[in-house]
Amino acid sequence: MLRFDRVFRDGGGFDTLLVMLALGYLVVFSAFPLIYNVVMSFQEVDLFSLASFDRPFVGWDNYSEVMGERVFTPIFWNTVQFVGLSVFFQLTIGFGLALFFQQDFPGATWLRGLFLAGWILPGLVVGAVWGWILAGDFGVLNYVLQSLGLIEGKIFWLSDPSVSLYSGIIANIWLGIPFNMILLSVGLAAIPADVYEAAELDGASRLHRFLTITLPLMRAQLGAVISLGVIFTLQQFDLFAALTRGGPSNASNVLQYWAWQLSFEEYRIGQGSVVSVLMILFVVIVAFVYVRSTRNEHAG
Amino acid sequence: MTQQITLSGIEKHYGGYHALKGINLDIPKGQFVALVGPSGCGKSTLLRTIAGLETISGGRIEIAGRDVTAVPPRGRDIAMVFQSYALYPHLTVEGNMTYALRLKGLSKAEAKARAAEIAEITGLSALLQRYPRELSGGQRQRVAMGRAIVRDPAAFLFDEPLSNLDAALRVHMRAEIRKLHNRLGATSVYVTHDQIEAMTMADHVVVMRAGVVEQQGAPLELYDRPANQFVAGFIGSPAMNFVPGRVGEDEQSVALDLAGSPVLRFAGRRPSGEAVTVGLRPEHLELGGAGGNSLTLPVALVERTGSASYIVSDTDLMIAATERVADGLGQVTVHIASERVHLFHPTTGVALR
Repeated sequence: MLRFDRVFRDGGGFDTLLVMLALGYLVVFSAFPLIYNVVMSFQEVDLFSLASFDRPFVGWDNYSEVMGERVFTPIFWNTVQFVGLSVFFQLTIGFGLALFFQQDFPGATWLRGLFLAGWILPGLVVGAVWGWILAGDFGVLNYVLQSLGLIEGKIFWLSDPSVSLYSGIIANIWLGIPFNMILLSVGLAAIPADVYEAAELDGASRLHRFLTITLPLMRAQLGAVISLGVIFTLQQFDLFAALTRGGPSNASNVLQYWAWQLSFEEYRIGQGSVVSVLMILFVVIVAFVYVRSTRNEHAG
Repeated sequence: MTQQITLSGIEKHYGGYHALKGINLDIPKGQFVALVGPSGCGKSTLLRTIAGLETISGGRIEIAGRDVTAVPPRGRDIAMVFQSYALYPHLTVEGNMTYALRLKGLSKAEAKARAAEIAEITGLSALLQRYPRELSGGQRQRVAMGRAIVRDPAAFLFDEPLSNLDAALRVHMRAEIRKLHNRLGATSVYVTHDQIEAMTMADHVVVMRAGVVEQQGAPLELYDRPANQFVAGFIGSPAMNFVPGRVGEDEQSVALDLAGSPVLRFAGRRPSGEAVTVGLRPEHLELGGAGGNSLTLPVALVERTGSASYIVSDTDLMIAATERVADGLGQVTVHIASERVHLFHPTTGVALR
């Protein structure tokens, strides 16, 4: 007993235990659900077979059924738009703000901290707040736009099929900006001031310094922020649940919300799993890019 | 000689802090000027105002006959070697060296040819395709030098460029920088806190303290005729000894405030009974009392470096002797030439001659 105790404390015993804990957590809560999801996408799953592992294997049937859905193509393009526009504006606005708060003015760090407030709000709350802002009849946004004379009549952000997707995108951009800004601020702060001074003496204008010093030195951070932005955007579920529920008639539906609708509203769990598997594949590719971009960091 | 850099009445305030107090400095073309002083004396700030990296609160800066007071750094045609080297981490050595040339509008081929030429001079030819992170400290230092030289600027500014190198390399690079300066016929301003660097490298040394120029001149002039006690103590290693004393009735000798009140003759005359601070350089105190004008001091400690022996007396007076000194020395008698005895005002520190 004493010997075991010594091995545990001084040998590799404790290290192994810690590794096993982390590994165990990953297996139970990540790997198993992931693999189980992939398995279900090849099975016929209904409410009666939900509790058993032994379900009929249907090959690629679920896949062809999902791809053959009339709404598949519009929902797919909605997702592309949602991710593309969200990440683009989160990044550009976040980067702009990071650069702005990098300037030395009184209260800069304090104000930057305030921006984080938006990020700690739960997605459902953000959705509810934006629901009021975007409301067609009494929404603040319509009031502001009308007061400024930018629009004639009211825009029904949440119920007009031509704009409902954009209401989700706007809310999501707002939600993602603080994260982008903070991560990019950290990257900017890591660039030594004297490198900029050297470039200034070498004849580089402000724009040149941004293009030839800031951007290349921020490559790793930008790669990380873009990859994480894509992943966070693909798992953005709460906003849709709170704002449009994918409607009207799937005009603002995206893959992640559709997967939930298939599995938990229509109980077509096999098909719901298919959508999830497609998204997992895409996320794996993005994660690979993320790992690559953080690995090639420049050391001083 | 034409002036390459002229500073007139440079003032710098940081909020309530007065960092530079009316600095005037003329730097002729081709001269190597060292700004030296303890940390916080304003020497780096002064250098950065020349570069344009700090705005000034008052005064005027001319570079190569042009008023550049309001010109941003990139319009001043000045190259700077930073203490941290500030190399562009994402560019190769060649990229670092061609960066400024490309901005100037040189073609890629022209810039590369020029970089190769300077790499030859600075011994970087084999390293052109390396990244800064793959270089040693000494090599990075060279790249910083090469990046400055390649631009052929109106003046070079150095901000403690050797302080991150080990001692042996520092001595080596000291000579190398000075040789490059001569070879290029450049005008250089060099900031250092190390008076040995300033003395050995510069044609003209500017000693600063608390935002004021205490004295400027040729290195040996500062050593031989320090204008005040601060400069006297700062220039020379080991530092000058200071002992309070009082001028004797003959107006040509001073009684030191030491045990036995020894009397030393000095060159010139001062009023009898005047209180003074007497400055004695350790290396001017020669062992053996021959020729009079001598002191006998109790020995507390002997430090040996091989080439010199530093004898420390019980009153912390230091004697730097070139000869070897035996152990167990109870006391030692030293001689000093009367023209080597410095006198300073006891409160203002101004040299009395």
